[in-house]
Amino acid sequence: MKRSRLSPWNILWLVLAAVYFLVPLYGSLEFSLETGPGQYGFDAYRTILHDPQFRNSFLLSLRLAIFTVIISTVLMVPTVYWVNLKLPRLRRVMETIALLPFVVPPVVLAVGILRLFASFTWLLSGPQVLVVSYVILALPYTYRSLDAGMRAMDLRTLTEAAQNMGANWVTVLWRIILPNLRFAMLSAAFLTVTLVMGEYTMSSLMLFNTFAVYMNYIGGSQANPAAALAMISLALTWVAMLAILFIGRGSNRRGAHVVGTN
Amino acid sequence: MSTRDISRREVLKRGALGGIGLAGLGSLTELMRLAPALAAGMGDMSALIAAAKKEGHLNTIALPRDWANYGEALDTFTKNYGIPISNANPLGTSAEELAAITRLKGQGRAPDVVDVSLTFADKGKTQGLFTPYKVSTWSTIPDSLKDAGGLYTGDYWGAMSFLSINHLVKEAPKDWSDLLSPKLRGMVAIDGDPRSAGDAQGAVVAAALANGGSLNNIEPGIEFFVKLKKAGNFNPSDAYTATIAKGATPVAIKWDYLNLATRDLLAKTSPVTVTIPKSGVYAGPYFQAISKSAPNPNAAKLWLEFLYSDAGQLIWLKGYTHPARYLDMAKRDVIPAAVSKLLPPASAYAKVQFASLAQLTAAAAVLQEQWGPKVSGS
Amino acid sequence: MTSGAQEAGSALPQAPSLPTRQRKFSFAWLGVLPFFAYVATFLLVPSIWLVVGAFQTDSGAFTTVQVHTLFQQQYLDAYKTSIEISLASALIGGVCGLFVAYSAVKEGAPGWIRPLLTTFSGVAANFAGIPLAFAWVATLGTTGVITAFLANHGIDLYQHGFTLYSFTGLTVVYTYFQMPLMILVISPALDGVRTEWREAATNLGAGQLQFWRYVGIPILWPSLLGAFVLLFGSAFAAYATAAALVGTELNLVPLLIGNVVNGNNTSDPQFGDALALGMIVIIGFTVVLNILLQRRSDRWLR
Repeated sequence: MKRSRLSPWNILWLVLAAVYFLVPLYGSLEFSLETGPGQYGFDAYRTILHDPQFRNSFLLSLRLAIFTVIISTVLMVPTVYWVNLKLPRLRRVMETIALLPFVVPPVVLAVGILRLFASFTWLLSGPQVLVVSYVILALPYTYRSLDAGMRAMDLRTLTEAAQNMGANWVTVLWRIILPNLRFAMLSAAFLTVTLVMGEYTMSSLMLFNTFAVYMNYIGGSQANPAAALAMISLALTWVAMLAILFIGRGSNRRGAHVVGTN
Repeated sequence: MSTRDISRREVLKRGALGGIGLAGLGSLTELMRLAPALAAGMGDMSALIAAAKKEGHLNTIALPRDWANYGEALDTFTKNYGIPISNANPLGTSAEELAAITRLKGQGRAPDVVDVSLTFADKGKTQGLFTPYKVSTWSTIPDSLKDAGGLYTGDYWGAMSFLSINHLVKEAPKDWSDLLSPKLRGMVAIDGDPRSAGDAQGAVVAAALANGGSLNNIEPGIEFFVKLKKAGNFNPSDAYTATIAKGATPVAIKWDYLNLATRDLLAKTSPVTVTIPKSGVYAGPYFQAISKSAPNPNAAKLWLEFLYSDAGQLIWLKGYTHPARYLDMAKRDVIPAAVSKLLPPASAYAKVQFASLAQLTAAAAVLQEQWGPKVSGS
Repeated sequence: MTSGAQEAGSALPQAPSLPTRQRKFSFAWLGVLPFFAYVATFLLVPSIWLVVGAFQTDSGAFTTVQVHTLFQQQYLDAYKTSIEISLASALIGGVCGLFVAYSAVKEGAPGWIRPLLTTFSGVAANFAGIPLAFAWVATLGTTGVITAFLANHGIDLYQHGFTLYSFTGLTVVYTYFQMPLMILVISPALDGVRTEWREAATNLGAGQLQFWRYVGIPILWPSLLGAFVLLFGSAFAAYATAAALVGTELNLVPLLIGNVVNGNNTSDPQFGDALALGMIVIIGFTVVLNILLQRRSDRWLR
């Protein structure tokens, strides 16, 4: 039995992919470090990090991300729980709903929300309208993560065992399901955070100064700091991705453990 | 139209003379001359200042910090009166400013003041978006640069100019025909979409003046850009400061004050040349207006008072613009020589033309109709 | 109750004294109500509002004027350009992504390649938007790293008519997040094409191409379709990258919609609704097409 190896064809594709991905990053990095013709330094990074607008927009986006995660979790965990446990017929509906934010993309959703809620000043007057919209945008990711997490657990047995011991639904969700869902929730949370931190369409159309809007402004007004910003945002995304991967590995082990206790 | 032409030249001549006249004076004398002028304008403002401070905030929109030296204006205002300023959407167009007034109406973050091109100043007036206010220095502003009812006030003007990055463009373009050179493939850009941005609109009108059109007929200007696009020289990107700095749009057709500010910015890293074209010298003023639904109306009024005081006008002059009260200030000899020298020589503006409201309205209509299908449509 | 059932009853843990089946059900429905109410309020109703608005005048009367305007040449061109860029980047990104993913997923690949590729794809897929536009200007812009490199070796890209701010340029930029998206989506599916099948096919005398043609591709077909639709939709709806790269000049539908919203395009807001309706129709069409094709291939597979 011959073990398949990487053929030259495979290697070619991997190398091409590496080049294609890395070259623009190198271009950005080089530009961000340029301080003059042929000179290099960290001036651009310093400019960005000292800009109060950087901190404000970053913190705004982070706050929005946290609120989005909280609302998403509160909304979706019970729902996915009930669908998996009691209402399997709704699964099709849920999957269709999870597909909808794809059919109604951010630019379209922005128009819809702005037009429908035009007279609801309390919604539109502050970034709360963004949080509300981001929960929808993140729906596909949160649903899939939570659903996968719940399917890996034996919901029925866990629920019945807990109820045998006298737990009501709230206790079941809070003390039994949630801890076992930790990894799926964290994964969903990280995906949501990266989505919100990079979101430009809705925040620019609704005139909020989020991180991506700030990045675009710097991109229009200062060249080298813009490249520095791109590098910073890339580094942060990388950290988030590594975190998800790390958690994912952890959940694999954890999942087996949960199954084992049955 | 021609009488207005002449009076513009008069303005420039006198301005230049005024500057030369001050050349030999020391800075102390200049300060002594400035002080009463400054004090006079702002002394009886205490009631307004108190009311503005009580509101405690000012919302501006679409003011890039390097546009006409707005950075210094914003900072100085906050420093003088302790009123923080929220500047939304700095890269926004005049069209976006008006839309924001409507869209954010009733919210605390709605814009208080706008700075828009004439087309949109008039639009705002007809749509009832502005509230009238005549600053204390109203009488010193030329009639052609303000709305009789006080709904909008001209703040500054500049002429269309070319900027080219020296190490990418060996021979800086001196006139419009130079822009069609094959050496400038993919390099020539304007500042956005002429249907919504005053700067870009100015480029098209100026091109019309240089290519057989007139202020009443800007179609040759559109045709010029069609030609530029066919030659492969037209770059559809917005010629923002950073885009120029990156070398993405090495040749930019923008107001002279914008290009001159960029010149200063890039002096060490990537020197550029700024030229006022030989033909098609077109000037466009911008106008301040206070929103009717401004959440901070008194702060807005104070902001205008500040901008139209001598101090405010000088800040704009340092930004390489011709401020609205330039003639008045030159007459009273309040422009320091060092500042006056910053502007390009008056001779460059000898043939400058200003469009009337009627002409710009007609031009805007033509652009709405033709720019999309002819230039930006693929 | 038979004795058998009694025995069964005692073998299992004592069932809790649950309310009747009917009441349990209503509790569950209550539990999912908030979610559906939320989705209805902030997704369904705004979308329906949009669709209705596309057929209304300012005062609410019914009209097809706005939808009619969509069929003007410049707007048809916008849809055409958007569709073309989406198709092109989805195809290129999809095919390249498929080959790259396969190379990493294959059994003989070194163990470190796949996790590296997955992480990197996750990052790159999220890099879309503003930072991506900057990165590409720094690479292929007029003074970009590659442009300068080629110029030093005698090839002047821009003189030959290439520009980053065009259809070609935008496709190249979009592929940057299309390819990783493809890799992420298709890798699990590729796992399903087991090596045993390949070996079985080889043993039966099939060559590489024959294997793929008769076994591999048919198995992958539903996933490939699904991935392609996902890629198409991503590119079609992309706003941030396009806005940051080409400003408002290139005629793309999301940019047009954005311009109606922010006031740069002074058409009626109902026109923005009409443009958005067009987008929903096109993406919806691809999704439905995908579902139908998948059902067909599912039947075939069985």
